[in-house]
This record gives sequence, structure tokens and C-alpha cells, in this order.
Amino acid sequence: MTPSADRRRAALTLAGLAAALVLAMLAGVALGAVPLSAEEVVGAVSRALTGHGSTLADAVVIDLRLPRVLLAALVGASLALAGVLYQALFKNPLADPYVLGVSSGAGLGATLAITVFGTSYAARAVGVPIGAFAGAVGTMLLVVRLASRRGRLDPTSLLLAGIAISYTLSALTSFVLVFDRQSMTSVVFWMMGGLANRSWGHVVLLTAMLAAGSVVPALYSRELDLMLLGDERAGQLGVPVERFKILALGAASLVVAGAVSVSGLIGFVGLMMPHMVRLVVGPRHRLLLPASVLAGAIALVLADLLARTVLAPVEIPVGIVTALAGGPFFIWLLVRKERVR
Amino acid sequence: MSAPSLEFRDATVGYGSRTVVRAVDLEVRSGEFVGLVGPNGAGKSTLLRAVTGGADVLGGDIVCGSSVLRLPERERAQLIGVVPQSQPSVFAFTARAFVEMGRHPHLGRLASLGPDDHAVVDEVMERTDTARLAAERIDELSGGDLQRLTLAQALAQQPRVLLLDEPTSHLDLNHALQVLDLVRSLADAGMAVLGVFHDLGIAARYADRVSIVADGRLTPSAPPAEALTSRVISDVFGVRAVVRTDPVTGSVAVTPVLRGDDLASAGSRGTVGLVCGSGTGIALMRVLMRAGYDVAAGALNRGDVDQAVAEALGARHVALPPFGEIDVEAEEAVRRAYADARCVVVCPTPFGRSNLPNLRAAIGSGRPLVLVGDMTAERDFSGGEATRLWDEAFALGATHVLSESDVPATVVAYDGEEA
Repeated sequence: MTPSADRRRAALTLAGLAAALVLAMLAGVALGAVPLSAEEVVGAVSRALTGHGSTLADAVVIDLRLPRVLLAALVGASLALAGVLYQALFKNPLADPYVLGVSSGAGLGATLAITVFGTSYAARAVGVPIGAFAGAVGTMLLVVRLASRRGRLDPTSLLLAGIAISYTLSALTSFVLVFDRQSMTSVVFWMMGGLANRSWGHVVLLTAMLAAGSVVPALYSRELDLMLLGDERAGQLGVPVERFKILALGAASLVVAGAVSVSGLIGFVGLMMPHMVRLVVGPRHRLLLPASVLAGAIALVLADLLARTVLAPVEIPVGIVTALAGGPFFIWLLVRKERVR
Repeated sequence: MSAPSLEFRDATVGYGSRTVVRAVDLEVRSGEFVGLVGPNGAGKSTLLRAVTGGADVLGGDIVCGSSVLRLPERERAQLIGVVPQSQPSVFAFTARAFVEMGRHPHLGRLASLGPDDHAVVDEVMERTDTARLAAERIDELSGGDLQRLTLAQALAQQPRVLLLDEPTSHLDLNHALQVLDLVRSLADAGMAVLGVFHDLGIAARYADRVSIVADGRLTPSAPPAEALTSRVISDVFGVRAVVRTDPVTGSVAVTPVLRGDDLASAGSRGTVGLVCGSGTGIALMRVLMRAGYDVAAGALNRGDVDQAVAEALGARHVALPPFGEIDVEAEEAVRRAYADARCVVVCPTPFGRSNLPNLRAAIGSGRPLVLVGDMTAERDFSGGEATRLWDEAFALGATHVLSESDVPATVVAYDGEEA
């Protein structure tokens, strides 16, 4: 394929995904306990932007649904971004923040922050993300350490170590909560992966963390391609491998910490989205990264829509929806891989 | 800047605290192709990997302009291209995208490939015969295709120094020659090439100098004809080989005859004399020496293939200059050697005046004779003298067998005979 045709196809793909995301978000805002029309949604947003009037419907849109839908998109984007990074750095198409235990680590870090600093707004806005980031980085280092044999990272060991650490840290989180019954209910519900009752503050927080975490992958997409050839080969082709890994793992930990801070443990989005997108657009990160980020956002907006409408007025934590879809997907990947070998 | 060479300066390489090859001194100059050979696990690949950080330099230094140990990866990749032993990919890059990755060290942070970069990629894919694969996915290609694409990727770096690790291991004959001719022409155009090879003949044919890695050391490099002698091959690889100049390529050709282990028991069952020449004794020398006999092969001219094999296997023989005559002294030496044997086998070699003394010595040795085939007019270039000696041998009670394959069974019958 000629380079220009390549570029045109990439632009079309991204435009299509962006349009789909807008539509999904529109549906996310419009549908719910009180169904709204598209005009009402658009009207509410434009009135809010221009500072005019506020009907009851406007309040539903601006204060409840819009932050929630935006947050779902941001969380999905963050998890997919982290998934792409982990899959490239570990050359393992099954890696994702949930499977590697990084989400659980961030969850434990966040829980400890809540028990230490309390549930005041300031504590949650600063302490929780920092705790989650520390938890994510620490878990990553531990899992990599456990899965390495004489400097080599075994892909199967990596997944096993990740899953084992994930369970251990989840148990530790529950253990911590036993001593802190006050926060228990809210933390447990948050840990299950929920997007209910989130505010604009969360949106701002996660936007900032996702933006910060996107700098490295945006600048270094070629390096991510080269990492897929193996560490030694990437080094031969001019990548400062060790330094780059630290940067990229730091970026991944940052966005995972952000996602976990606002929405708890939501599994498999980081695994599924990059994987499915790669099947369509190929492995080059220049396109794979933005396409996966958009697909992750779409997926979680739709999953959240399902979570709050299927059994309305009862709301299911969105993490349960993604796990219900992602578990079987993961098994399918394992079985398929087995057959190829 | 003058074209940099690659230089190992008293370099000791290994992994962590484990030394693999110590005190290596080797310079590969611009325009030179140096071959590294040696047994499996000797550390050839480790030497190459140490240049780009895949193995540790535990002492000394490796220099390419400046020390490669302090060269940033990007600058190093502009100078040094590597073709590692290729590994199958699980990620579905197109072949073209795979080769384009070789441009990485020349591209700015956010730059994408420009027209010049595409021209380089076009050219290296053309030269490695991979242009037609451009749109294929690398996870679906054969090992040979991937190997040539890996070479194309390394050449896309436009390096001054090229390191090759078994670059033809997956290639068919045609592509192997194509790749080696390409690498040779790159060296002739000024690149410094250091390649690891299993095939001694390939190393000898394409490299200017050859160095041998064995027992944790690197021998000083030398032109192939000096570096690859049958003694070195026996010492390093444990293989007895005939090393000669290939009449077609004009380069050193190595033909393995037997493994050293096969000769472990040679001589334990005594000696068998052979009257041979012109290649008629090769098969029997191999079979008999492997079976535990020593062989006395008479007087043979240098340049005769039987002489080369006898020398490689360490069979006793009197070596004559090319076209040299067997004088009285030599004939007596041969007769005495045959007299120590349990029996003497006369191979179906043609006889002329020059080699007739071998047959005379066999008869004169007094040992039992085994005559292979028949003495015909086509075999006798001695004006009837050979036929007369043949008849005399029969008259003395020689055993007659139809072909060489009957010889071992016949020889066994004389195992009990004391010389």
C-alpha cells in the first residue's frame, strides 16, 4: 500500500471512531431513568456553556449524566492506553492493567490513602491518586521481578504472577477495610468498578492524569513498534530500552492510577480494546494508540449505559459488565493461541 | 570523519559474572569482511552481541570511532547494523513496515519517513530480493524471507559496520549466495563486516580474514587458507577434514572425512595395508579406520586425493612430491610398513610405472594379499608389468574379491594373524 493511501485510511479510521464516540456519548447522556431527546441534550449543553437558564432536565444532563458519561469515556480511554503500553513493553498480547495486577495495586494504594487521610474532598482529590499511583508502580515492579528469570521475562510467568498478585492485593484491601468499617461500604462499591455519583472534580482529575500519561506514548510511538521486536533488537535499532521502559511504564501506571482513583477496578477493557483494534488496524502504534484510546472510550460509555439501564432502576457496577464480557474473551484468546501453536 | 573500523581491544565478554570469551583483540577495518568460526557454544554470538549491549563487556573495550560502551543507542544504531539470528514474530507488521523500522535512528522525534528514507527502504528491499514481499505480514513469512528482511532492516540503517550472526542459516542455496555476494560487495564498497558462520567453506570463500573462537579464546585472524588448516579443524572441531583449494571457486574448501571420535579405536585391531591412489582408497580408509584398524597406505603423491585423506586421517604413508617417483628407498619403506600389516588390500587403482613399486612392495611384504576387482587392460598403463605382478600375487595365494564392499569381511578373517 502506498504511504498516502495508508495515511488516508488511518485518518478515516480515526474519524469514524471519533464520530462513534460522540454518538455513544450522546446516547449515554440521553438514555436513563428519565429519557431525553437529542435536542434536549444539546440544548442543555449549549445553555450551560452560555450560562442561560436551567430546567430540571438541564440539571440532570449537566450535573449527573454528562460528568458520568465523560468519566466513562476517560476511564475507558485510560485503560485502553495502558493496555496498549503493557502489551508492547511485554510483547504479550494478553497483558493489561487488570491481568497484571496493577489495577489491584492501585486499588490497595487508594484504599490505604482513604483510610489514612479520610474521605474529605481534598484528601480524595490528592491522596487517592497519589496512593493509587504508588500502588500501581509498586505492583508493576513486584510482578516484573517475580516473572523474571536471569533478566528474561517469561510471558506466561508474567500473567501468572500478575493474577496471583492481583488476588493477594485484593485480599489485603479487604483486610484493611475490616479495620475501617466507616469507609467500607463506599470503598467496596467503588472497588467493584462503578461510575455512580461522580462529580466534575473527578472529570478534571482524570483528564489531567490522562493528558500527562499520553505525552510519552504520543512522542514515542515508533519506539513502541520497535519494542515489539524484542528488547535486544530494539536496542540495536537505536532505542534506549531501559530508560524507555521506565518512561512508558510510568505513563501506564499514571493512567491506571487515574482510572482506578475515580472508578475502582474495571477489568478487561485494557485487554480487549487494543486487541480488537490491532486485528483491524495492524500493530503500528501511530494508529493503534489513538484508535485503541477511542475504542476504549466507546466501549466503556456503552458498558456504563448498559449497567444503568438493563435492570433500571437498579444499577449494576460497570466493572461487572466488562468482566462478564471480558472473561469469556480472555478465555477465547487463550484457547485460540493454544490452537495456533 | 574517516570510515570507522570496529576494534576489540583486549575485550573480555560474557554475561554478568560469567566470562565467555576473554582477551579478544580483533580489528575489522573499513572495506574488510572478517569471518568468525568455531564450535557451537564457543561464544561467537556473544562476541557480536557485546558490541550492541546484548552481552556484557567485562574487561577491555570495543571501539567504533569511540567506545561503543559509551555510545548512545541512537548514534550506535547509525554506525552499527546487526543481523541477529532471526526469531519468528507474533506481531503482524507488514514486511515494508518492518524494514522501515531500520530508519528509526535517522528520524527526528515526531518525523515520519521522508522521500529519502523511502528511497533507502526501496533500495535495500530491492537488493535483498524482498521488494515483492512488501505487503506481506511478517508473522506469516518463512524463516528465509524473514532473514532477508532482517538484513534489509539492518541495511536501512545505512551502517558503517555490519554484524552478521549466521545470516544464511535459513536460506536456500540461491538466496544464500545472493546475500553473501551482497555483503561482499558492501564490504568492497567500504563497509566493515564481521560475520559469524557455521559453514567453514562460506567463511573461507567470502571473508578476507578468519578468526576462530574456541575454548574461551579468539585466534588471531588470518587469511582463510592460513587460518583453516586440517590441523586447526581437527583441534577445534574434532573433525578430520581434507582442506584444499576448490578448483572452481579458488577458495579454501573443507571436506569433513571422519569425526575425531570415530578414530578413537583406530589401530586397536592392528594394521591393514592398502595399495591405492586416485581416490580408490578413500572409502576403505574410512571404513577400516572407523572399524579399529590402522591403515598403511603406501607411497602417494601430494595432490592425489588418497594422499590428502590419508593425511587427514593420520594413516601411515610415504608422501611424495606431485608426480614424484617412488625410489628404491621409498619402496623399501612401503614394504616394511606393509610387512607390519595383517594383510594388504590392493584397491582397483590404475597402475603405471610410477606407482608400480607399491604393488611390488605389497607382494614383497610376504603378508596375505586381497585383490579387489580384475586387472584389465584399462588399468594397466605399465606395459604389462602390473598384470605380471597381479598374476604373481595370485600364484602366491592372494584372495580375490569383486568389490571394495567385500573387503571388510575378508579382512576380518586375518584378525587372528600375527604380523
